[in-house]
Amino acid sequence: MKPAPFAWEWPASLPALLARLAEATGPVKLIAGGQSLGPMLNLRLVEPDLVLDLTGIEELRQAHIEGGTLVLGACVTHADIEDGRVPDVTGGALQRVASAIAYRPVRNRGTVGGSLTHADPAADWVTALTALGAEVEIAGAMGRRRLPVERFVTGALSVALGPAEVVVAVRVPALPEGAAWGYVKHCAKVGEFAHAIGAVRLEPQAGRGRAVIGAVEGPPVLLADARPLFGGRIDAGFATRFDALAADAILREAGMADAVERHIHVTVLARAVAAAAPVASPTPAARPEAA
Amino acid sequence: MSAALIEPRTTPTLALALTVNGRPVRVEAEPRSHLGDVLRDGLDLTGTHLGCEHGVCGACTVLLDGEPARACLTFAGACSGASVTTIEGLDGDAIAGELRAAFNREHALQCGYCTPGMMVAARDLVLRLPEADERRIRIGLAGNLCRCTGYAGIVRAVMAVIAERRGRGIPPETGAARALGPVGARTGEAITASPAPHAVAVAATAGPAFMAELGDAFEPAHEFTQSLDLAHPPAAVFAFFGDIEAVAACLPGAVLTARPSADTVEGGLQVRIGPIAATFRGRARITRDEAALTGSVHGAGSDAGGRSATEGRIRYRVSDGPEAGTSRLDLDVGYTLTGPLAQFGRPGLVRDLAGRIAADFSRNLDARLSGGAAPAPAGLNPLRLLLGLVRARFAAWLGRP
Repeated sequence: MKPAPFAWEWPASLPALLARLAEATGPVKLIAGGQSLGPMLNLRLVEPDLVLDLTGIEELRQAHIEGGTLVLGACVTHADIEDGRVPDVTGGALQRVASAIAYRPVRNRGTVGGSLTHADPAADWVTALTALGAEVEIAGAMGRRRLPVERFVTGALSVALGPAEVVVAVRVPALPEGAAWGYVKHCAKVGEFAHAIGAVRLEPQAGRGRAVIGAVEGPPVLLADARPLFGGRIDAGFATRFDALAADAILREAGMADAVERHIHVTVLARAVAAAAPVASPTPAARPEAA
Repeated sequence: MSAALIEPRTTPTLALALTVNGRPVRVEAEPRSHLGDVLRDGLDLTGTHLGCEHGVCGACTVLLDGEPARACLTFAGACSGASVTTIEGLDGDAIAGELRAAFNREHALQCGYCTPGMMVAARDLVLRLPEADERRIRIGLAGNLCRCTGYAGIVRAVMAVIAERRGRGIPPETGAARALGPVGARTGEAITASPAPHAVAVAATAGPAFMAELGDAFEPAHEFTQSLDLAHPPAAVFAFFGDIEAVAACLPGAVLTARPSADTVEGGLQVRIGPIAATFRGRARITRDEAALTGSVHGAGSDAGGRSATEGRIRYRVSDGPEAGTSRLDLDVGYTLTGPLAQFGRPGLVRDLAGRIAADFSRNLDARLSGGAAPAPAGLNPLRLLLGLVRARFAAWLGRP
C-alpha cells in the first residue's frame, strides 16, 4: 500500500507547468487534491516517474463569474463549492452535488478539475456537469481550447486531453430563471461511488431540456434533447409524463444489455425527474443537508 | 525476491517544513511518503492510525490547516508548509475534551483503532452541524469505519456534545473564509524540491511469469458476451482463429513469447484502464472444434510481482452473418481478477475496456482478412517490454536494481 518512488515538483505558474510537461520524458502524472490519483498510487496501479503538483498555480485556485458563466479554477475543491466560497449561477445545484461527494475529509482536498480529468464514470461531476452543459477549458503549448464535458469524457477513465495539456477551468453556464434541476444518485453506502446517477436540467418555458444517465460503464448517456423522455414535449407538467419505457429503450440502444441494470438506472432517473424543482433564483439555496 | 519489489537505489527526499501540533518541525521524507507515514515514522506520532491507505476507512484522518483530511492521500510534497493537528495535538482542545468524555460515557470505543480518526471527524461535525440531527451525524461519520463497537454509541456521543454546546449558545461555524483549493496546499511558493535525477523504476514487466495450472473446473467470477459482425465468410474467419500468432497480432496489447506445445502459448497482455497499465504474463491453452466452428482460449497470468492475477476463458463461435459471405462472431468471456487491480476496478470498467479492445480487434481482424498488413498493436511497445526484461536481468546479475 505504499506508492512506487516518484519525484515531486511544484511549478509555480502555468507556463512553468506546461514547459515542464513538454520536456518530461518518462511517465508523468498531474496531481491536484490527490483524492482519485492517491489511491491508485498507493495501490501501485499507477507508477509515474514524476508527479507535478498543480496546487501552487494561483490561477487554478480562483473562481469568478464571466458574463453569466461561472468559471471554476480546476483546483477548486468540492468543499469550496459546498461551503459557498465560490459564486453560484445554478440556484444551489452545484452546492447540493458537491456536498454529497464522498466524505468531508475527501471534499476538503478533492477538486472539480481532478475529478473530471480522472473521469470515473461513477463520479458526480462527470454526470452533473454534463447535464448542466458545462465546458472544460484546456491549456497546452498551442494555447487554450474548450470542450463540452460530454466531448471531454471519452470513456471510463479516459478524457480528450493531450499528453502536454492540462485542465485549467470548468465553465458552468447559468441555469435560467424557471429552469428545473434534478439530481439523484444511488449508493449502497453513503459516500461510495454511485451505482446509478440520474440528472435532468429542464426548461419548461422554453420547451427543452437535457437528461443524463450516469454511473454507467462508459461515459454518461446524454440526451441533449430530453423531449422523448416526456412524450415529445417538455412543459410545466413534465413530471407526470416521464416515460420509463422510453428511458429503457435509450439505455438498451446505448448498449446496456442487463435488464436489472437498466431498471436501476431508469428508476434513479425517474427519481431525478420527480425531484426536479424549478430553480428559484440564481443565488445560493439553503445549506445542503448532507454533512 | 522479484525484481519489481526492489526499490531503486536513489530516491530524492524532501526537507519538509511543517507545523505539527503547534510546533514547527523539519522532517526528511520521500515524495511518495504520505502524511500518515511522515507523522508515524518521521515524528513518532503514532496516534494517527493507518487502515486501508486508500481513503476509504478514515482511520488516518487528521486536521490539515484546521480542516479534516485523509493523511494517507496527502503526499509529503502536497503539504509542505502546512499546519497539521493529530490526535496528540487535541489533548487541550475543548471540543475534543467534551467528545472524549462523551465517548467514555456512551461506550463509543472498544479496540480504539478507528478512534483517532473518529474523533477528528466528530469534532468537525460538532463545529459545523447546526443541531444534533442523528441522520446528518450518521452521514457525516460514513467516511470513518468502526469494526467493533459499532456506531450507535459514537452517534449518541456526538449528538450529546452538539446538543450540549448549542444549548450553551455556541453557534455552528459556517464554512469559514479560507483560500480556495485543497487544504494544506500553498500557492505562489515556487518550491523546487526533488532536484536529484529521479530513479527509473524497474519496468513492471520484469517479474517472472506466473505459470498457473489451467484446470478444467474454472468458475469465472464475471461473465459477459460480445458479438462482432465481420464482412468475411465463416470458414475464413474460423481458419483465421486457427493461427494464434495472427490472432495475437490483432489483439491490442498482446504479445506471444513461446509455444511450448501445439495447444499452449505463453506470452503477455498489456491492458490500460485510464492511467492504469498492467501487463499480465502467463500461459493459455487453446481448443478448437472444426465441425462446430467453435473454440476456446483459457489462460491465466499475473502482473509483475504477482500482485494482481487473472484467469479467463474466451469461447468463440463463428456462424453465418446476416448476408451471404459475412459472418457473426459470438464471444463468451468469463474472467476472475484478484489483487489490487480487482480492488480498484469495478466489473463495469473491465467491460468498457473489453468493448474497446473488441472494437480494435474487430478492426484489425477485418484489415487482416482483407489482405492488409497487420496493424501495429496499439497500447504496447514490444521493444519496451524487451528492454524491461533486459534491464531486470542486468539488475539481477549486479545484485541491485
